[in-house]
Formats: sequence, C-alpha cells, structure tokens
Amino acid sequence: MSEKYGNLIPTGRLLDGKPRTILFDATKCIGCRQCVHACKDWHDHPRTSVYEFSSSNWIQMDPPVLEGLSPLWARNSCMHCEYPMCAAVCPVEAITKYDEGPVVIDPVKCIGCEYCVYACPWGVISKDEVTQKASKCTMCAPRVSEEKSPFCVVACPVGALDFGLEEDMTAKAHARASEVGGETYGENEAGGTQVVMVLKEGKAAYGLKFILPTKYPAHKIPLGLMLKDLFTPRCGIPGKLRALYLAVVHPKRLLYRYWPRRA
Amino acid sequence: MLNGELFPARRTTRLPGGYMGRILRVDLTTGKLTDENLPEEPVLRKFVGGQSLALYILLKELPRDAAPYGPENKVVMMTGPITGTGFTPGGTKVTAVYLSPLTEYTLGRGASSGFWPVYLKAAGYDGLIVQGASQRPVYLFINEGNAELRDASRVWGKGARETEDLLRAEVGIADARVMTIGPAGENLVRAAMLCNDYNHNAAHSAGAVFGSKKLKAIVVYGTKRPPLHDKAKLIEAGLRWRKTLVVRNVDEKKTAGHAEDLHALPNLNYRSSLIEDHARGFDQNRITLRPCFQCQRLCPWDVEVMEGPKKGAVGHFNAGSEWLDTFFNLGVKGNEVLYLAEKINDLGIECSHFSCGAAVAFEAWEKGLIGPSDTDGLAFEWGNVATIDRLLDMTARREGKWGELLAEGPTQVASVIGGDAPKWLVHTKKGTPALHDWRPHFGQMLREIVASGGMKPQGGGSAKPPPDLAYREKWGPLDRDDPTGWPWSQVLSEQYRQFCGVTGGCWFAQMHMKPDGLKSVADSLSATTGWNFDLDEGMIAGHRSMILQTIFGTQRGWVADHDWQQVGQRFLEPIPDGKFKGFTIGKWMPQMVFDYYRLSGRHERTGRPFMDTLQKLGLEEFSEWAQLD
Repeated sequence: MSEKYGNLIPTGRLLDGKPRTILFDATKCIGCRQCVHACKDWHDHPRTSVYEFSSSNWIQMDPPVLEGLSPLWARNSCMHCEYPMCAAVCPVEAITKYDEGPVVIDPVKCIGCEYCVYACPWGVISKDEVTQKASKCTMCAPRVSEEKSPFCVVACPVGALDFGLEEDMTAKAHARASEVGGETYGENEAGGTQVVMVLKEGKAAYGLKFILPTKYPAHKIPLGLMLKDLFTPRCGIPGKLRALYLAVVHPKRLLYRYWPRRA
Repeated sequence: MLNGELFPARRTTRLPGGYMGRILRVDLTTGKLTDENLPEEPVLRKFVGGQSLALYILLKELPRDAAPYGPENKVVMMTGPITGTGFTPGGTKVTAVYLSPLTEYTLGRGASSGFWPVYLKAAGYDGLIVQGASQRPVYLFINEGNAELRDASRVWGKGARETEDLLRAEVGIADARVMTIGPAGENLVRAAMLCNDYNHNAAHSAGAVFGSKKLKAIVVYGTKRPPLHDKAKLIEAGLRWRKTLVVRNVDEKKTAGHAEDLHALPNLNYRSSLIEDHARGFDQNRITLRPCFQCQRLCPWDVEVMEGPKKGAVGHFNAGSEWLDTFFNLGVKGNEVLYLAEKINDLGIECSHFSCGAAVAFEAWEKGLIGPSDTDGLAFEWGNVATIDRLLDMTARREGKWGELLAEGPTQVASVIGGDAPKWLVHTKKGTPALHDWRPHFGQMLREIVASGGMKPQGGGSAKPPPDLAYREKWGPLDRDDPTGWPWSQVLSEQYRQFCGVTGGCWFAQMHMKPDGLKSVADSLSATTGWNFDLDEGMIAGHRSMILQTIFGTQRGWVADHDWQQVGQRFLEPIPDGKFKGFTIGKWMPQMVFDYYRLSGRHERTGRPFMDTLQKLGLEEFSEWAQLD
C-alpha cells in the first residue's frame, strides 16, 4: 500500500487490506435522509441542520428541500478518494488513507489549519467552530474494521446504498447503470474514489461536480492562509513544531501542499 | 409513588433513558410558558409516555365540568422514550389527548408521526400541556428549549401546507418542523385535525380544540437527542424490529388501498361494497415514498397526478387510505379522488367526518328528500366533483347551511334532513369510523364500536394470537363467521397496540403477527430506558392505558351501553353485496360488546373497571370510579 503511495500520505490497515466501496444508486434514492440521520445517530452528533455540511452533518442530500420533494437526489459526502488530496496537504499527518477504503481524520492530531477543507475537491470537510477540528465522514472505519457496513448503508430503507469489496460494487454499479441506461460517477474522478454512484441522468442534473481524473487534484488553499500559518501563532506553537518536524522526517509530503499543480 | 406532586420541582429519582426530562406548559390565556419536570421514575415506568402518560396528566388536571371549546379544556401531548432515538422503526409518535368536541363527554385522541415529534424532543421537551385560550391567533415556537408565543395573524385562514412553508420561512430555520391546523380547526369543525410535515395528520378533533384556543401552530426545532441507557442493545433490538417490517411499496399506492385487503369498499354511503374501477388512472401517477423519521415501513407517500382532469395536482398522504374511501363513498373515482383527498387534508377536516355527513345528504338528494331549493343550487349528485370541492371549502369555513351542518357532523345533517335520513347514518357516538367498510370483519367492527366516539380505536384483533404471545395465548384460528373468541382477540390487540403507542412507537410499525414483532418493541424500550420490560409488563401497560380511557369517560357520564346503542344504523346493516354479502355483526350485538368489557376487567353495562382490575394495574387512586358490585 505505502509503495503505491510512495510514502506521500499516511496509510494504514484496518482489517484484511482489501479495498471496499460504498455504492450509491441514485435511481433508487427517495431523498428520505435516513442515511443522514443514521450518520448523526451512530456518531452521537447533535441533530443539526441536515441541509448543510457541518462538523455534525457529514452527508448532504441535494437539493436542500424537504424529504421526497424532488425527482432526483444527489448524495454528497466524503468520496474516500483513492489518492486523497486532504491527506496529502495535511501538515500534521492527521489524515490517513486505509487500505480498506476509509480516509479518516484523527481529531487528536488535527490542528485546525483548514488546508484539507480547501483541498477537498468535493468540499465535504467542515471545521468545528468550537473544537477547531476538521471533520468528515469516516466510512464508519471502526465498523469496517469489524467487517460491518457503514451505518448509513445499514439505514437506507430502499436499498439505494450498498457496501462491499471494491470490485463487487463496481461491477454492480456498471450492471445497474446499463440496466437503467445511466452512468456511473466516482470511479475515475480525482484518480478514483471509494464511493461509486449510479446516475439515471448526467451528473450535471444531480448537481455533481465535474472533477478531472487526476490523482491528487489541484487544490485551492489560499496563499494568505498558508502565509498566516507560517508567520502568525495560528494553529498553535505545538502544531507548528509538529508540522516542522514532519516536514523534516517526510519532506516528500510537502509536495502537494506547496506544489499543487504537480501530478 | 403517587404521593407528592406530579411534576416535582426537583426530581428525587433517576431520569430514565429516552426522556428529555421536561414538559412545557403553555397557558394561552396569560401567555405564560412554564417548564415542568417529568414525573418521578415510578410514575414514568407505570405510564411510560404517549396516550397513557398524557391521559394520566389530563385526568389529574382537567376540571370535571370542562367544556370542549372552553378555555378550561386542555390538550396534553406526549411523545415516548423511543421517540426520536433514531435506532428503531416507528420511533416517531406523539399523542394528544383532550375532551372530545365530537362527543363532548369522552376522550379525544389525536396521534401523529413524521418528524415533528422527533424535533419536539430535539427542542428539549417530551411533551406539552396546552391550556387556556388566546384572544388573538398565535403560534408557539420552540427553539432549542426556548419557547415563545408569536402572532399568527399572517397565517390564520391558510391551509396546512402553506402555513407550514410560511412559518418555516418566518422562523428562518429550514429544519424547523411545523404542526398546524387548517381553516377547519380555526372554524371549529368538530373533527378538525392537526397536520404536520405535509403527510401527517392527527385526527379526531385535536385541531378543533387548538382552534378554540386560537393556537394555529407549533413550530419546533432543536439539536438535542434523547439520552440512551444502552445504545448497543438498542441498535440490536431496533435492527431486529426492522427485520419484522412488511415494507410498503409504490405499487400498492396505485390500488384502491386498504379496501383491497378488506375486500370491501364503501360506495354511495355504504350501499355497495364492490371494488370496481375506483383506482383507474392511479397507475399513471408519479409516486414518491416519504418515510417518517428513521422508519423503514415506508408508509407516507407523495403523488403527482399524471392523468385525468386534475393532471398536475400534487398530494401528500400517509398510510391507510381513508381519504380514498372518503370520496369513493361519495361516488368519485380515479385521480379526482386524490385531488379531493389532498384538499381535505390541507383544510384539516377529518375525512370520515365529512364523508359520512355528505353521503347522507347525497342519499337524501337521490331519494328526493332534498332538492335544489335546499342546497342553494348545488347539485348533491354522487360523483359531482365540483359540488364536493365546494362543500369542502364551505365545511372548513362553516359557510352557509351545509357548511355549518357538515362541520357539526353526520348526526346533525341527518336530523335536519329528517325523514328516514337518520337510518342512513354511519357513526359511533357521533364520531365517525376510520373510513373503510369494516362491516365484514368482527375484530375491526368491535374495535370501531368500542372506540371513544369517532376516535380511531386500536386493536382489531387477529384470527390467531401473535407468535410472541404464544407462551401465554393458546387459541385460534378463529372463524370469521363466528363471534367466539373475537372479543378476547380485540382486548389483547388493544393492549399491545396501546403498549406500542405509550413507548412513543407507531403501531403501524408494530408487526404483531411476525415473530419478534412485539418482543423487539419491548426490548427497544428496555434498552432505551434501562427498565427490564417484558411482554407481560408491556401488555399491562397497554391495559392500563385502556382503563384510563374508560375512567375519563366514566367521570363525564359515558357508560358502555352507549357503545352499542349509539351506532349509526347503516353501520350494522348486512353487507349488501360482494364476497361477504349478508354478513353483519349486528346479530351478535350487544353480546360482543358485553364480552369485550367483561374480558378487559370492566362491567359490561357501565364500562367501569372492577376493583381487582384497578389493583392489578396499580390504579387504586381511581377507585372511586370503580364498579363495586
């Protein structure tokens, strides 16, 4: 695994090393948001707005209208990129890509620099106003390590969500897409992700982003933010020291943070 | 523990899991809003929540001489511990109790699901006590534990859907949930409903009581979740519960609905039960399922009508299909039924109240008892959509003679028409049954007849005992043509349905005939609260709720004899045609009612509970209302 990544990002293993994928079949989704609430329930998140991403709302079903009041539903949440830019830009190596698929932020290590928030091509990472930590969907990594499905998948009442080995889910997605005359999304975007969607119509109809099939896609971390981090006490002195130490230990990991266009 | 205050200033016992710990008392006369602590744990374990706890509070607080529309009437609304945990199906219920404006002497109960009850708890409250009456229209806004009364003049007069949208916009919270009355509630239509989350209605007059208090709506929002005693166990019990569910689907929304299961459908004021092309055009509609909060039973649904004169109309419905039979009963078929059904829900009129009244008037027109000079020129012809459409508006606003009469109810319609019209009535104690043709079925008919006057009763019995009760119930299968055993079957089913309700669960999600269908509910309650509720205790909790309902009526002059004496004649007539032609439970009346009351520990004529029933249920404090001989 780390060979594949050339030690560019922190990697880890939860179980057997076989990559898993979440399959979202938009042709079956009824927009009930049971997945959204299940995510909150499993993680004991407060029942905050289901219409916008926050540190307590990791899944967003679009459009932001009441349950059922739309003919098409898009699921927006962490895509668990195969080559996660959020992990590549994190100065304190708080984000780990696990072999089984999950990309997970460690809240203990996070210093709240927001690089990942800006680096995520899908804009699904939020920073908590109070704790100053970044957070997003974890693919229920603790459940995955017990060979269980993410809780959103368990909750779906209409079978629009599925979870399993990457090759099985991809095959299923293709079969379903050809059955409904639709297309898939997520297999190639950003170099491939571990969420694959089946869409009845084009991705634009769902409001899904067009993302190039480039590994570690270009990020838009504002220069001002970077300069602030370098020259002000933002994110705390221990955080800065840790970032400095890691820059020395893993100098390659500076690559995508400061040279975003390089693929 | 029944000493001391019901709402302790300071709790001395543990607050079990599942409860938020507070009830909001809303005094609309003074505008004062007060937080009350939930009762102590022994009281909670006895009454749990929902109808039972709400009714216990109402019995303690409602003056004996209260009038339904007087400021002294109260609406007590309670969720239960499993409402809003997110880990069980059906954890969505709120139940409101009050003195019924329909009968004026029995309990009124309105229950609803969806999301509003969950967000009431998220706002920090297990329930509400609404008392007094406001001078001007107001709505209650509860936001994260802070409650305030606000001016509702902007939404007064508006339908339920528009009110919901306007108030959500007014409070500026897209996630806020709204429970509202339509024009019917404002104008005191006796069976006006509460409407929430588009697809949900609490029927049986709660809306009229809200209207009498000038309370238009309750808007709730919050982010709290109920504390759980054992989350892992609750998840396990909830997943077991989920496995029992019979999941609804889009295809069944393209049929004539529950009438198909009953093999009977009320046509032209219950004069034929044949199902013909009533559902024509339904198959072309676009249907979306809109489940309640975290429930996989998938009852609620939206429809976009794609065929017929009302093409383009949109409707928001729940399970059941009373609103279909409501208009089938008036001779309408096809997609115009869905248009009218959406309209009646938006106006907030309980559909059977309207249908049973209008059907008598239409029959009188057919038979020449009334003519154009009596109806201001409206043609009361079966299937006349324009007339029905107009009558709905008139009823909701009590416009004209027919608006007034239909708002009052079927018995008033019949008495004004006179002649034989009272013989054509379908009602129980002035209330109307959930609008289906229940007549071929023992359990369901008994359930309707012993209900608290139009209040949708619970139970309905089953031909065999639920598998989960096999350890104690060994009987059946019952014969559908023989009354033997049906009263006991009804008693049992009423108990487990009540039990599900008092937990804060929805009885539509309680699959009693599936293995684990009852036990998974009890286990969910235990895991949530930390109590060790087995099925026996659950059945006792349900039984207690039934007996409290009786005591409420007894205090106000109800006796069990009224159940079989005050029933619309047509409701007990033999089925005129179809599969069950000639069947009626009328020939076994009143013996079936007698048996039902005896078997549930009450006197068959007075309906009062016997002392040993009260002792068994720990309700000795109500012994003055017991049957002593």
